[in-house]
Amino acid sequence: MAYLNLFWPEGAVLPRMVPLDIFHMETGGCAGCAIELRSLSRALVEGHSDIRFVSTPRQAGLLLVTGSLTVDMAPVVELAWQAMPGTRLLAAVGDCAVDGGIFAPGYAVLGGVGGRARASLLLPGCPPSPAEVLDALIRWRTQGEGEAT
Amino acid sequence: MTAQVPDLIRSGMPSACAGRFVLDGGTWRDMVENLRHSTLPLLGLWSDGVQVHALFMEGTRPLLASVAVMDGRYLALSPVRAGAAAYERITQDLWGIEGMGATDSAPWLDQGRWPVTWPLHDRPPPAPAPPEGVEFTDDAAMVQAGGTVVGYGPAEGDFQSPFHLRLGLPGERIMQVRTRMGYAHRGLCARMRGATVAQAARLVARIDATVTVAHQVAFARALGAAGEHAGADMDDAAMFVSELERIAIHLDTLATAAELLADGRFAILAATLLERVRQACREGCGSRLLFDVLPPAGDAGRTVSIPMEVLTELRTGCATLRHLFWRPRGMAMQARGRGIVPADVARRWGIAGCVGRASGVEGDLRPYVSRSAGREGTGGDVADRLAMRLHEVEMAVDILSTFDGAAVSMPAGYDVHGSGEGMGCVEGPTGPVWHWVRLAHGRVAAWWCGDASLLLFQALPGILSGAVYEDVPLILTSLGLSAAGADL
Repeated sequence: MAYLNLFWPEGAVLPRMVPLDIFHMETGGCAGCAIELRSLSRALVEGHSDIRFVSTPRQAGLLLVTGSLTVDMAPVVELAWQAMPGTRLLAAVGDCAVDGGIFAPGYAVLGGVGGRARASLLLPGCPPSPAEVLDALIRWRTQGEGEAT
Repeated sequence: MTAQVPDLIRSGMPSACAGRFVLDGGTWRDMVENLRHSTLPLLGLWSDGVQVHALFMEGTRPLLASVAVMDGRYLALSPVRAGAAAYERITQDLWGIEGMGATDSAPWLDQGRWPVTWPLHDRPPPAPAPPEGVEFTDDAAMVQAGGTVVGYGPAEGDFQSPFHLRLGLPGERIMQVRTRMGYAHRGLCARMRGATVAQAARLVARIDATVTVAHQVAFARALGAAGEHAGADMDDAAMFVSELERIAIHLDTLATAAELLADGRFAILAATLLERVRQACREGCGSRLLFDVLPPAGDAGRTVSIPMEVLTELRTGCATLRHLFWRPRGMAMQARGRGIVPADVARRWGIAGCVGRASGVEGDLRPYVSRSAGREGTGGDVADRLAMRLHEVEMAVDILSTFDGAAVSMPAGYDVHGSGEGMGCVEGPTGPVWHWVRLAHGRVAAWWCGDASLLLFQALPGILSGAVYEDVPLILTSLGLSAAGADL
């Protein structure tokens, strides 16, 4: 009861917890990062977290890309990005998505999405563990979600 | 007069690779003709630009037949082995080598967006402008029936490698399935050519994360067969990490299937056990997903182990999972009758491994496993496949328990300088995984590999026909499909 003054109009501004809806796309790697993200997704659901993985880009605020970007997946990433409503952000997780990793550009691969677009969150690792991904997401959220595009 | 196909193949000229015989054009034609009356399963078909190689399994022994490519063509196998169709289309896409009389010549991997046509050809011609959109041709029956056409993939938010299915739904049930692949194609064959063995091994571990150990073991076996590095001392280590991977992949599949069937208790327990295994893998083997555990990419001479308490936890956990699976209104009852792969369909497409065994097609490349017949159902539906996976987890825990918590030493590392050619074939979590490699002065001159996924993708139209749309993710999960392993 002693802290009610916090809620008065002249009180401290408390950050509002906005849920983070993530749409994950595997853009053509070994799917190791995707496996780890599936583990993370299970933990988030179990923990009733406000960070969620959604099944359509139309609900998402963050596009999380893993794997090297193949030539055939590039238009799909573009379509998913265009389908995202309002403020949208891009995250690249794993070595392949950050800079191409072991799959250097070739006739079928364009290289990592992190080198081709401005990503708000870059997390290297082959693959990063679910704990590292969650840690990076939380740290990135608490530091401010960067400028939205 | 019908000769036995294996004898016919062995009548060819032996090559540098044990079990590979080079046939002349006439013998190859006889072999194709005799395959009509034979049950010899075809596992793969590929090319190195000069010859086309077909891999058959004679029991648990690989048998390869090769034929020289004449004027960019060879006699196709797809009229007699349905599973050869995708391999022929991939050979056409990558090399421009055409299979005469093939059942289908449409591109499989090349969607028209690559900057070159036939990228592995000596002089690849320039590619035409990429297509504006995607065109599908529907069956006359589908056009007549009308109804809805629904797309599945390539981005469903389901943490899988990308592929696309075009599902025709004139009513409640799926009538037509068209697959569109190539989204996960990374040009691995082009990357492997000229790579040192250590570089190649790192790539091999990252072909497909769901079967990474099987790929590593098969590649190491192929290297061993190509050189004098026989992998005799690798058997224990390979068996240990293979079974560890099998436990993890099957638990992952079971947990995903339980989520799709809304069985929360099963899903949580399976996911918890999976996480315990992954953590044990990180502590005992150095990598959660078991990347780069085997030489030449892994640290030579290191030891791997799994604590006994984890195995005990797995054993009690599996007993609970089994109880939950078979309980009234449990997953087995819900999944019964969905996504049926009958035995004749599995044989027609050459589907082996865990999916094949659930359909009643016997066969296991693991010499140390003797399957207790009749323990699991062999009806080939989703329930049988999930039960088979659960059974294999229990078996793998028993196999790992025989090590009694002792650490297993990885074989010593080696550096390959010589030339040679070899073949390696192992049983992965979803089916056989094989590698063929030709070395020249310590570098990879030609390479190809395959796993069960490509055959399963080809069989999908038959498996999904008649299913309701809502069952598609469950059926795909139970099959253990991975586009990364199929597209390379």
